[in-house]
Amino acid sequence: MKKLISDISAIPEPYQFISILWLSFLMAGVATGIFFSVIDPMQLEACVDFPEMGRIGAYTTGFFLFWILTAASSLLSCYFILPRKGSGAGDQSKADQA
Amino acid sequence: MNAPRNDADIQQSLFEKRQKIYPREVHGRFARLRVISIITLLGLFYALPWIDWDGRQSVLFDLPARKFHVFGLTFWPQDFLLLAFLLMLAALSLFFFTAIAGRLWCGYACPQTVWTEVFLWMERMIEGDRIAQMRLDNKPMSWKKFRIKATKHAVWIIFSLHTGATFIGYFVPIRELTSQIMTLELGAWATFWMLFYGFATYGNAGWMREQVCIYMCPYARFQSAMFDDDTMVVSYDAKRGEPRGRRRFDDEEKRAQLGDCINCTLCVQVCPTGIDIRDGLQYECIGCSACIDACNDVMDKVGYEPGLIRYTTQNLIEGKPSRIIRPRIVIYGTILLSLTGLFIYIAGTRTPLALDVIRDRNQLYRESRGMIENVYKLKIINMDEQPHTYSLSVSGIDDIRLELEQAKIRVDSGKVMALPVRLLVREDTLTSRSSDIEFTLTATADPELSVSEHARFIGPMP
Repeated sequence: MKKLISDISAIPEPYQFISILWLSFLMAGVATGIFFSVIDPMQLEACVDFPEMGRIGAYTTGFFLFWILTAASSLLSCYFILPRKGSGAGDQSKADQA
Repeated sequence: MNAPRNDADIQQSLFEKRQKIYPREVHGRFARLRVISIITLLGLFYALPWIDWDGRQSVLFDLPARKFHVFGLTFWPQDFLLLAFLLMLAALSLFFFTAIAGRLWCGYACPQTVWTEVFLWMERMIEGDRIAQMRLDNKPMSWKKFRIKATKHAVWIIFSLHTGATFIGYFVPIRELTSQIMTLELGAWATFWMLFYGFATYGNAGWMREQVCIYMCPYARFQSAMFDDDTMVVSYDAKRGEPRGRRRFDDEEKRAQLGDCINCTLCVQVCPTGIDIRDGLQYECIGCSACIDACNDVMDKVGYEPGLIRYTTQNLIEGKPSRIIRPRIVIYGTILLSLTGLFIYIAGTRTPLALDVIRDRNQLYRESRGMIENVYKLKIINMDEQPHTYSLSVSGIDDIRLELEQAKIRVDSGKVMALPVRLLVREDTLTSRSSDIEFTLTATADPELSVSEHARFIGPMP
């Protein structure tokens, strides 16, 4: 297996940006398309107490909500790839070797 | 040939700070092809929303009204499957053409390439050719430099805003949009998206350019999976070109020792992604063939055969036989053909009428005078281009009676009608608590135009 990146600063900034914001932007676009082709925001407005914003406004808000969610997911993935600081993992195998 | 670069090298080079690339202008067969492609595609993009069809904007993805108009056809959210199909077809075509001839899409048709070329052209008009641009960038800031740079960015920004407005014109009727922009009455959301798209154009085509292809494009990442040794790619013929070197044309002895590459580096100077094609096939190469044009020009001048850099396959370069028909092409082609057939079938047999049946949720059923009554709400969508009158019938239970509040069901083109319906059944005809029934809606003028929808009729325990 390839060595995991051990430190977030080892990943150049443009890559941090692209792997989190850009890819989640693409996925948010797909999610928005599917969601709003099934659900009409006007019907949604009728049953939930939303501020009046019209369809375009609802699509835009929906898109950004999806983007926040997908970006949060990407961010967590990137964060969880990093090993925990002060982790004891790996100590046992070292002990076994000794 | 130099050894192909390994993953670590590529990874390393991706992380380096970006050096600005100044692609040199190129003329030739492929440059002409690219210009024709760019003019056609951008011409279509900027003109289509202004062309009317049947008294309506020819292509309008009317998001506020939730319907798409494409040349006299109207698509509804119910047609989502068709759209998904179309996207799948587009992806498969991309695979197919990539397997045959490499990154044709990237070199000639991708919006990133197309707009970047236009921005490069504007830059060249204002700042001058490659040498002049590099000289200008190396100079300290002066009034003259500031003026040139400001002009360039102003022209870029105006063009980007126009692009953004045109883009929004595909979603909001463009004539209305234009008058709203002129009178500064454009809604906040539309303004936001116009600026968003305009900014994306300016940033991607003006500043990011080849970085979008190298870092951001998902297709660039996986396109190599579609390649094999029979794929047509832009290649440098190392057998013929090496050893490369500069030479004097009267020095016959030296000429005889060297290969055909005179090491003029023009192929590197014209490359929009700044690579050296002589290092072999690289991930950054977008297949624009600017280096082919540049090299052929040089070969012509020094009296060598053209084609030192050319479209060819890895097998041909190595002197092995190359074939176009191979399992990969057959498989991609078969899937592509069958999906296209399926798409045409679905689109062709699509009924421009939809019926939704929603049961009244307040009450399961009502009893009156030995009859069981169920209430439904029918949603009728007329997706046809003309108004229709429909007749409604219901089947599934003996002697089932249909009661409507209105005598005629008439729905205008592109409209949705909510129709309350009552069904009455004699209690003794019911055999179970829940019975299957079927509504059928048929256009009176055209019996072919008909849809059926299942529903349930609920009664007491028999």
